[in-house]
Amino acid sequence: MSNNLEVSIFEIVGSPLCVASGDGQKVYDRLAAALKEGRRVIVSFYNVTTLTSAFLNAAIGQLYGTFSEEQIRTLLKVQDMQADDLALLKRVVDTAKLYFKDPQTFKRVLRETIEGEDSDT
Amino acid sequence: MNLSLSEIRHDQAGFEALVCLLAQTKGGFFDDIDINMSATAWFDADMCAAFGAILYRLGENLNTVKLKSIPPNVEGILSKNGFLSHYGREKIPDRWGTTIPYKRFDVKDDRYFAGYIETEFIHRREMPDMSSGLLKKFRESIFEIFSNAVLHSRTTQGIFSCGQFFPKRNRLDFSVADLGVGIRQNIQDNIGLILTSEEAIAWATQERNTTKKGPIPGGLGLKLLREFIDLNGGYIQIVSDSGYWRRAKGQTSTALLSHPFPGTVVSIEINTADTQSYVLSSELSEADIF
Repeated sequence: MSNNLEVSIFEIVGSPLCVASGDGQKVYDRLAAALKEGRRVIVSFYNVTTLTSAFLNAAIGQLYGTFSEEQIRTLLKVQDMQADDLALLKRVVDTAKLYFKDPQTFKRVLRETIEGEDSDT
Repeated sequence: MNLSLSEIRHDQAGFEALVCLLAQTKGGFFDDIDINMSATAWFDADMCAAFGAILYRLGENLNTVKLKSIPPNVEGILSKNGFLSHYGREKIPDRWGTTIPYKRFDVKDDRYFAGYIETEFIHRREMPDMSSGLLKKFRESIFEIFSNAVLHSRTTQGIFSCGQFFPKRNRLDFSVADLGVGIRQNIQDNIGLILTSEEAIAWATQERNTTKKGPIPGGLGLKLLREFIDLNGGYIQIVSDSGYWRRAKGQTSTALLSHPFPGTVVSIEINTADTQSYVLSSELSEADIF
């Protein structure tokens, strides 16, 4: 039995358009099942042409609610991503870390934003 | 009930005219509503999304809606994009291929919506010759708008979209409307913040602000859209409840409409002649993500 799992996003979604949160959930289900077993997972975005934050939030951002940053960093790898898609994934990951790590900070940022917008508009 | 509609342009006045039209129906049930469009000298095609949402709401209230005295030029536009097919007219061919048809979707139609965008826009040879970077960004933006409606609107009555390309002006307009709870109510229900309609829209376009709760994080879709439009040189308008929010050339303005829209509309105009590569200057490594 292999300790490494290779996951093709295209194969799971069945399309180059990875835009639906529901499709992201299917990816999450596989990744979460593998990570729970302590398996290393390589996630390939080969042939994927379009990604949205909604898809990536469901597929990968959601992992930070179940697994530690250390676990994810150790076990999860991505490959075959275009530079701008990689940048989007990085933002999704950073937002997810904040979302799950510190709800109080999240709420504070919300309030500060409102005050900032009041003076901006 | 006899109502009339003025010209509808892709701007604050256009949205104002549409919400006034809805307000005049006074939430009636089982009414015959005749909308006289003889004064509708112009109708920006993408505004069919918001107009269609309003007419659908009237139909859900068991009213019989008829569109009357439509000027020939407007009838031509609204027939080519399929809008009038919903109201007893024939669809006519779009000889110049500049329309992105009017459609109504349910919230579970993400894949159908994706197919619609690919078929009706991305793979149409008549569509503008955009750089590959711009095309990718534009496509992602449209999907982010649709996802936003799916994830946040809580609509049971659908999501409406329509677009139009203006070759001589190098501009492309696209709108998505939903008949959901609206941004202000969504924030109030999920976060407990009580904001005005304009404040609520401004809040939703800021990074890290999200009404999402539970296991799946959120809070990026509208921010990505805002960043793209700032770079592209187009503009974005959001109408939700009574709030009107517009961003163009990096500047934001807001206003209060005289009546509420029964959901949310996100409307963009993009500059199709934009030649930016949208390739990031600093390379990010796959090892740096998590």
